[in-house]
Amino acid sequence: MRRGRIVKVINEAESIKSFILKVNIDNVTPGQFVMVWVPGFEEIPLSPSLHENSHLRLTVAAVGATTKKIHEMSVGGSLYIRGPYGRGFNLNLKGKYLLVAGGYGAAPIIYALKELREKGKSATYAIGAKTSSKLLFVSEAKSIGAKVLVTTEDGSEGIKGLITDVIKDMIEEYDNVLACGPEKMLYKIMNMCLRANVKCQLSIERYIKCGLGICGSCALDPKGLLVCKDGPVFYAEELIGTDFGKCYSLPSGAKIVIR
Amino acid sequence: MVALLETSVSNLKMRTPVLLASGVLGSSYGTINRVIEETLVGAIVTKSFTKEPRNGYSTPIVAYVKSGLLNAVGLANPGYKMLKELLRNVSRDIPIIVSIASSSPQEFAEIAEYAEEAGANAVELNLSCPHVKGHGLEVGQDPVYVGKIVENVKSVSNIPVFVKLGYSDKVVEVAKRAEKAGADAIVAINTIRAMAIDVYAKKPILSNIYGGLSGPAIHPIAVRIVYDLYKVVEIPIVGVGGVMDWKDAVELMLAGASAIAVASAIAVKGLKVINEIVEGIQKYLENEGFGKVSDIVGLAHKN
Repeated sequence: MRRGRIVKVINEAESIKSFILKVNIDNVTPGQFVMVWVPGFEEIPLSPSLHENSHLRLTVAAVGATTKKIHEMSVGGSLYIRGPYGRGFNLNLKGKYLLVAGGYGAAPIIYALKELREKGKSATYAIGAKTSSKLLFVSEAKSIGAKVLVTTEDGSEGIKGLITDVIKDMIEEYDNVLACGPEKMLYKIMNMCLRANVKCQLSIERYIKCGLGICGSCALDPKGLLVCKDGPVFYAEELIGTDFGKCYSLPSGAKIVIR
Repeated sequence: MVALLETSVSNLKMRTPVLLASGVLGSSYGTINRVIEETLVGAIVTKSFTKEPRNGYSTPIVAYVKSGLLNAVGLANPGYKMLKELLRNVSRDIPIIVSIASSSPQEFAEIAEYAEEAGANAVELNLSCPHVKGHGLEVGQDPVYVGKIVENVKSVSNIPVFVKLGYSDKVVEVAKRAEKAGADAIVAINTIRAMAIDVYAKKPILSNIYGGLSGPAIHPIAVRIVYDLYKVVEIPIVGVGGVMDWKDAVELMLAGASAIAVASAIAVKGLKVINEIVEGIQKYLENEGFGKVSDIVGLAHKN
């Protein structure tokens, strides 16, 4: 575990802030995650939105006790980091990329976008949010030369509707789709890509407790895939026939059906 | 190739003497099947099941320390009623040993009966969890209480009953009592109660403060305890504790373990470590001129 000092705090969107930490950890591949601990609170997995020159950017939505606590922190404060863990996005595949972000799932997506652009690849950033104040990294995506597509559910910015409805007619123009966001969105994208025969990598979420591939809390039946070790980024084909999109395991290991 | 490695513990036939220890990847059928398919594991010990579902402790539940790993998962499990579904979906190519944790002899027996009905090949009584009050060490250090638990479970079981003991001054005495009460095997040792403090946070890392230490740090302790147990019990011993490679495994077998189980090594090297250990044991047996696993069990005691 390494101490990360907050050197900058950025208000990104409503209830979403980025924290730039100076921390000495191994290089994070876009899509990998780190475990973030604030003493006295739960340790949580977060997928960084950038990692360069020993500066780690964590983009945090205030949704739980730990993330709300992080939101109260300012420059000079400390977060404790272990990792990086897991498998990130494969950004070495040929062709055009469509990157789809739902809400704060944009964090690993913007990092992947940046690396793709640095490799000189053509990439579109498609972001969907409930409303314009929740949109993330739109100007950053534009500034790194990506084509940007915006949807909001209330129509306050960009196209009104769900991102999945907008991209469904265009995915065939791409060779690769990368996505991170709510499971329902990812499940739709997975099926779209499988139908259209477009290579698809999804960053998915489960209860990650140990991050080391031993406790089993993030396992996906029936294949026994471990989100913390084999993922959190999976190819669509790997997720076929698994609990992904159907069941979610509670901390005890008992399963609930995703509506 | 595998014939050399075939072994048995009580009446359980195993393709190799390398087991998956309780607590690692043993609560979802998918991960259990994956371990069975991807490795030459000899038997699976499930995560400990309790009467009620348990969420386990809040994170952090693990911390790396020098020469080991600390964990306080807190016996997270979906409750024993899930055993039927679990056992229906796991591959039955190798023995599945259901680990049970409880704080009362009656409840141990109740869960053991259910596990047998659900199809378990054996049960392992977790009498040594170092980080859940009333579910472990306190129980496992009391020879009379352990005797009562084992008798109770034996009275309702037709499958082998393994007793998992942890490090304590009374471990030999407790093991003898468990054997007398009818235990079919002793599993030793569990993790050892320990803690870690982050010097910058100036706070204990684990949410539960205390956890169980595993990994290389505890291996010599496991060797000592298995060695001592072998001298006094007739029933087979499964050696557990910091087995990171085949040498550690062989060492425990020479001390008296009929089989060994692996846990922390998987955190460090992944599932492939199981096959590395299996293959290492095989080469050792061949190179040292042994015909079967049982030839080396307890060999360090012989003149």
